[in-house]
Amino acid sequence: MSNVTSDTCALPPAAPNPVLLVLTALAAGAIVGLPLVSVQPNRIMPGEGLTLWALGGPMALTGALMVLAGLTWLAWRPTRRALSAALTLVGLCLALLPWALVVVAAAQIEPGMSSARIGLGAGLWALLFLLLLMLLELINRLALSPLLRWGLLLGLGLSLLLALTGGGLDGLALMREYHGRRAAFHAALRYHLLLVSAVVGISLLLAAGLALAMRRWSGLRRGTFSVLSVLQTIPSLALFGLLLAPLAYLAVRFTWLGDLGVRGIGWAPALIALVAYSLLPMTRNAFVALDEVAADVTDAARGMGMSPAQVFWQVRLPLALPVMLEGIRITAVQAIGLAAVAALIGAGGLGTFIFQGLGQAAMDLVLLGALPIILIALLVDGLFSALAEQLRRAQGRGETAHA
Amino acid sequence: MSWLRRSSAPLAWALLLVTLMLLMPRLEEGFRLIAPDARTLIYQRDSFASLVANHLLVVGVASLCAILLGMGAAILVTRPWGRDFLPLVSQLASIGQTFPPVAVLALAVPVLGFGSVPTIVALVLYGLLPIVRNTLVGIQGISPGVMESAHGMGMSGRQILWQVELPLARPVILAGIRTSVTINIATAAIGSTIGARTLGDPIIAGIVNGNTAFILQGAILIALLALCVDSLFERLQ
Repeated sequence: MSNVTSDTCALPPAAPNPVLLVLTALAAGAIVGLPLVSVQPNRIMPGEGLTLWALGGPMALTGALMVLAGLTWLAWRPTRRALSAALTLVGLCLALLPWALVVVAAAQIEPGMSSARIGLGAGLWALLFLLLLMLLELINRLALSPLLRWGLLLGLGLSLLLALTGGGLDGLALMREYHGRRAAFHAALRYHLLLVSAVVGISLLLAAGLALAMRRWSGLRRGTFSVLSVLQTIPSLALFGLLLAPLAYLAVRFTWLGDLGVRGIGWAPALIALVAYSLLPMTRNAFVALDEVAADVTDAARGMGMSPAQVFWQVRLPLALPVMLEGIRITAVQAIGLAAVAALIGAGGLGTFIFQGLGQAAMDLVLLGALPIILIALLVDGLFSALAEQLRRAQGRGETAHA
Repeated sequence: MSWLRRSSAPLAWALLLVTLMLLMPRLEEGFRLIAPDARTLIYQRDSFASLVANHLLVVGVASLCAILLGMGAAILVTRPWGRDFLPLVSQLASIGQTFPPVAVLALAVPVLGFGSVPTIVALVLYGLLPIVRNTLVGIQGISPGVMESAHGMGMSGRQILWQVELPLARPVILAGIRTSVTINIATAAIGSTIGARTLGDPIIAGIVNGNTAFILQGAILIALLALCVDSLFERLQ
């Protein structure tokens, strides 16, 4: 609400928003010059790129350029109302993009062509990227509340999900790859998430132990952090490789380990390496979080007659939680990406599709692995950031209430 | 002497790297203990020296481009006439960092094909983000008082940039470059799956053929390279 007053004060000299102007100009370039989709007769044959002109003729091109012209006009006088209108327009464009693809797929693939497929072209990716940038810029300028922001994202996600599950997009090369290995995809997705959750859980426990030990014996601090940061610098592929030999040896030496599934290749080296990488961000945040709780707060708690255990569980830990959540966020996002590399050493997960696709030069299979990984990373990042933000706000409110 | 002591850690790692790189073929007997069944014990397709050199070349070119572009972009959006782009660029840099580097590498292939060039492009794109972010944080973290007194002394915009902003932001910018280079060394190794000739080659060959000796040879050299470069940054900072 406070924005309204500041808006009316700052209204008259509303200068054009150069960011939106540049983005719309680039989007116009992408629509006119780049192929939006490519139509392939089968999986092997290279596709033929089609621009919007080739897909929909002058009508479609004029329509799209009119929308962009509208955006330019709104960005020229960026009052709050104009920016809200621009946000609606950009949101609609993004929500309708999958449905436009449904129309294109229906027009380009005749019912009998079961192996024909539609690949997403450079123009479409560029357009998607530019529209998302516009959305981000407008959300920033309008200082949208978290609730509206998540609602907007949810709406866009829902539109995409409906288009994907409705069957209209089955002609997309990506969907053809998905339908070819639906069971494997779901298994890999579950496995990827399981591996990442296990890593986050284990490293959280270890990090909590380490942080507590370091608070007790300060001599441990330097050594632990330098060992953990050295671990962090070793490239993932190398760490997987270095773990392979000792694990293979252990599995042969102790058969019960082998029976558990511990091998040089597989989930065991992946889990160990991912936990090793996770320990630095997790421990650093846990330690800093616990250490940074202001001394006067704990003093006050003690003065109220709380026992040391009560001070820890009821005061120190809750106050440390937002920073610890930040550590969990960094760790989880990092583990989601590294788990993809672990597919190289046979650990499974979504990375399998990436490396299979690279091996077969089947780019849509690569996308089938890479896109979900990116989406999961973004989602986890957003959720944990929002959670930490919420906690911080709640605590801030509590503090002012006390004051 | 003090220079020697200060640079001792990077030198030690570099010495170890070069020694192992050159002597690896002589360690055949040692690798026989680890992989008794392997037909060939030492990776033969390329010399280790050329793999190390090529790995460094890929990372070096990519990091140099990332530093120039990243710092350039961050400096542009902190100037008065570029400030409109600041929120978007800053947010983009932090959101982009949640993209896993492997995914960026994999997505470079459909656009650019296989080989060293797509690897370098992917490394530049991803390596940009920590540099942009840290340069922004460094420049924005300078206290307004310092900037005001610089203006008050009659310094021009260019003088303020070179004599005030960049020197004060240096530690934070260097930290960003360090993160970027660390990620690039790791991602370049994975780049051998998309056809870049790097130290990842022996590891991938070892995984494909089930040859632990190859895997160890690649892994040890990459780890040493990473530690060497990282300790160099440790000294610089």
